[in-house]
Amino acid sequence: MRERYGINDGVHIVWHNGYLEPYRSPDGIETAKTVVFDGLEAAIRLRPDADEWESYFRAWQRWEAAAPNRTVVWIGTDVTQGVVPVDPEERRWRDAVGMCYQRLASLCCRVDRLWCGLAERLK
Amino acid sequence: MIVFVSGAARSGKSEAAEVCAIRLSCGGRLHYIATAQAVDEEMTERIRRHQERRAAQAAHWTVWEAPFSSREIAASLRPNDVVLLDCLTAWLAHELFSGESWKTDATAQATARRLLDGVRAWDAACRAVVIVSNELFSGGVPDDPGTFRYMKTLGSLHQQLVAEAAAAAVVECGLLRVKKGRWPR
Repeated sequence: MRERYGINDGVHIVWHNGYLEPYRSPDGIETAKTVVFDGLEAAIRLRPDADEWESYFRAWQRWEAAAPNRTVVWIGTDVTQGVVPVDPEERRWRDAVGMCYQRLASLCCRVDRLWCGLAERLK
Repeated sequence: MIVFVSGAARSGKSEAAEVCAIRLSCGGRLHYIATAQAVDEEMTERIRRHQERRAAQAAHWTVWEAPFSSREIAASLRPNDVVLLDCLTAWLAHELFSGESWKTDATAQATARRLLDGVRAWDAACRAVVIVSNELFSGGVPDDPGTFRYMKTLGSLHQQLVAEAAAAAVVECGLLRVKKGRWPR
């Protein structure tokens, strides 16, 4: 990830880990050039609502556009390919992830699918 | 050289890996490292199917059954030999969960490094090492810390093996899709 997107330790990075804690809002993040959101599917699980997430993605898109050389990177695992879960909550989460990824991909200027560290550029 | 083959359940990855190893061996000895352990009836049946398939092949396999010593295998290898490990997922599961190394990121990563060093040692001692693994990352990310750490550790092992592999492929519905390098012909 760091290599592909030219992120190096000299740049101020804010790293959000969706597996450990909920994501925060863009308010007050001024000095960072790169903001990374890891574990997106886990974050979506806490609020499986694609409309809410779209507003959140757009808020970060505005943050990115508000100053030069800003980059927001979203990292998510594709959890949408297994057997359709019997549990309605699980199904709701899975659908929300699929919908969020579609909407996010339409906002992003670049989309990669990774397999064992090899990136396949989708957009 | 290292060759990496992955695939979903019943995708044909073991067959593809066996064909690849036989091709690479061109007269050298073939070693089969079987990581599965017969813990129940279904596993016993699965192991038997794999054994029957190999027995039907003209090629002769020297079989190393789990639990095996990685060092002992390395010491027995000759420069023209080819090693096939089937599969990485069961090997890592055994190494992580037979002790307590799954409990922290640091110990799980140390286990992964030990496995990787084992593969590197085989690779240095013979012609080729073919590694079979599984595509198990699309069924959701589990909540329980053991499985979560297992997936994370397996993912990083996959990345390192593919980075070092001369060729890497994924098998889907019996069809091989080469993702890196040139597939051994």
